[in-house]
Amino acid sequence: MLDLLQQGFAAVFTLQIIGFVTVGVAVGIIFGAVPGLTAVMAVALCLPLTYGMSAAAGISLLVALYIGATSGGLISAILLKIPGTPASIATTFDGGPMMEKGEGAKALGVGIVFSFLGTIVSIAALIFIAPSLAKAALSFGPHEYFSIAIFSLTLIATLSSGSMIKGLFSGVAGFVFATVGIAPVDAIRRFTFGQTDLNNGFEILTVLVGVFAISEIIGVAEKVRHEGDIVTGSVNLRAIKGFGFSLREFFGQMPNAMRSSVIGIGIGILPGIGAATSNLISYVVAKKRSRHPEKFGTGIIDGLVASEAANNAGIGGAMIPLLTLGIPGDGVTAIMLGGFLVHGIQPGPMLFVTQGPLVYTIFAALVVATVMMLVLEFYGLRIFIRLLAVPKHILLPIILVLCVVGAFGLSSRVFDVWTILLFGLIGYGFVKLKVPAAPFILGFILGPMAETNLRRGLMLSDGDFLGFLTNPISGVFLVLAIVSVLWHVIQAWRGRPAKARNASA
Amino acid sequence: MNDTKKREFALGLVMLCAGLAYLFLTFDLPRKGGIDASFVPYVLGFFMVTLGAMQLAAARRMAVASGAGSATNDVEAERVDYTTVLRTVGLIVAYVALLGYVGFPIMTALYLYAQFLVLSPTGRKVNHVTYGGIAVVAAALIYVTFRFGFDLLLPAGLLG
Repeated sequence: MLDLLQQGFAAVFTLQIIGFVTVGVAVGIIFGAVPGLTAVMAVALCLPLTYGMSAAAGISLLVALYIGATSGGLISAILLKIPGTPASIATTFDGGPMMEKGEGAKALGVGIVFSFLGTIVSIAALIFIAPSLAKAALSFGPHEYFSIAIFSLTLIATLSSGSMIKGLFSGVAGFVFATVGIAPVDAIRRFTFGQTDLNNGFEILTVLVGVFAISEIIGVAEKVRHEGDIVTGSVNLRAIKGFGFSLREFFGQMPNAMRSSVIGIGIGILPGIGAATSNLISYVVAKKRSRHPEKFGTGIIDGLVASEAANNAGIGGAMIPLLTLGIPGDGVTAIMLGGFLVHGIQPGPMLFVTQGPLVYTIFAALVVATVMMLVLEFYGLRIFIRLLAVPKHILLPIILVLCVVGAFGLSSRVFDVWTILLFGLIGYGFVKLKVPAAPFILGFILGPMAETNLRRGLMLSDGDFLGFLTNPISGVFLVLAIVSVLWHVIQAWRGRPAKARNASA
Repeated sequence: MNDTKKREFALGLVMLCAGLAYLFLTFDLPRKGGIDASFVPYVLGFFMVTLGAMQLAAARRMAVASGAGSATNDVEAERVDYTTVLRTVGLIVAYVALLGYVGFPIMTALYLYAQFLVLSPTGRKVNHVTYGGIAVVAAALIYVTFRFGFDLLLPAGLLG
């Protein structure tokens, strides 16, 4: 493993890849910092840039964007008290008050350092867990893959939203769009309406860009004309030493940082709930375990550490199912999956066998990007603060054009550009009707995996559905899927008012 | 019925109609007997219809629980500028429709300029020269970067 890791670092330490990682982290930080721009947008927009690159360079750029964007949210969370991404919501709880107390520079320093620590811990977990998991997954067949896909879908649908019905519908709707095109196994054309452009179905990237980026742009149009200018808080970076906090404070926060990182990794591994949830859970846990819980929310570094260590630790966690099983856990990893596919890389256990050096190049790129994030975020802070003030009515149309370039560049078809608009409108409709978009995307990705493996599994067991239950791993995942839905149904029923329960009894 | 209840009810209808439409389209798929290419679409269609019915029932329960006519408890009183949304969508549609004919550089510059105007904050003086300059420079920069820097084919249209 060490040899492979060494090779990975050697592959990353080229002028070209280091350059891409630097640019990727910087662009990612901007996207994370500017409210309204998201990590998914950052990765989606830069995908066309990678089309002509080698797989190692392209994927390094994408992971750099991911790391930069996840961490960048802390800048606006502290300076504006607006989380740049949902992953930084809990950062505002103590970051904002610290800023008001004149400790803005210290808050930024703490946020940056513990983001770095959280990411490094999660990458270490990824490096140690992923190869063993991939080895175990090598023995998986269609039965196991079908059950894992169904389990992931139910988990995503039930955990990622307040309403199970909406979450499930969103996942099923994503699956429905994935059935367009030539069917697996018997190659029958489905729902193509005679359009040859639809024979291969919808491109995963156009669906992602539409649902996450175009819908966001349309959504911003709702209020951008009535918004005032962004006023950023000012921090005096010259007056502080190091990162603005003492070594004693640093070591004092280590138990909190480690606990929060473990929470972040654990939640990151589970499909459907990522950094947006882990930062809040970690904050609550840190508060409960603290000797001075009453001080949380008044501007103490404990809350900042909990939030920032946890949200960044989700990066390594989310990469584990993506690399070992080909299952993305959230929007960013879903679009990363698209990026892998564009470069002819199929994530899954075989990736560790057939392209071992590339896997370790990804690990090395993650480490280098994390170090770059620490350096750029601290020393380039003034530039990022200035970029927060770029008017959205100028920025968003340019982003839309870049989305169009990305979609057109996939196969040089205007059809793909129409597709991003279609899915943009669907995504906007979801926002208006409060339907979560993440299950839609994961239904779109996991649906074909489930269908193909269902058909193959049935062929292996002569059409007998029981094969999915009698296979031990498959059976466990199917039971877990049923338990997850039932648990949610019971929770929802318990949550109903007593009067309504009595009325229906 | 307040806005939230209306929205929940409308969502239930959308879900139900989408499920029925999908099932209707699935009926046309060729059958080979047993588990074939239409099996999963049938399952998905029935799921969508069931979820739609459940959503409608939930919306009805919500309306009954809070009592008819209680229109005052709607938390969301957000002001939404749908005119700008419609104009934005219209501009994007026009941009995509004309992209192949007029070409990327010209169409992008035109789209950007028009979109800046549409999204421009109210009460602020519109600077046509700045908007035009940014639109032309951004369009040219994006075209040159991707066409010549990354060798990506983009429709040249009238300039081709």
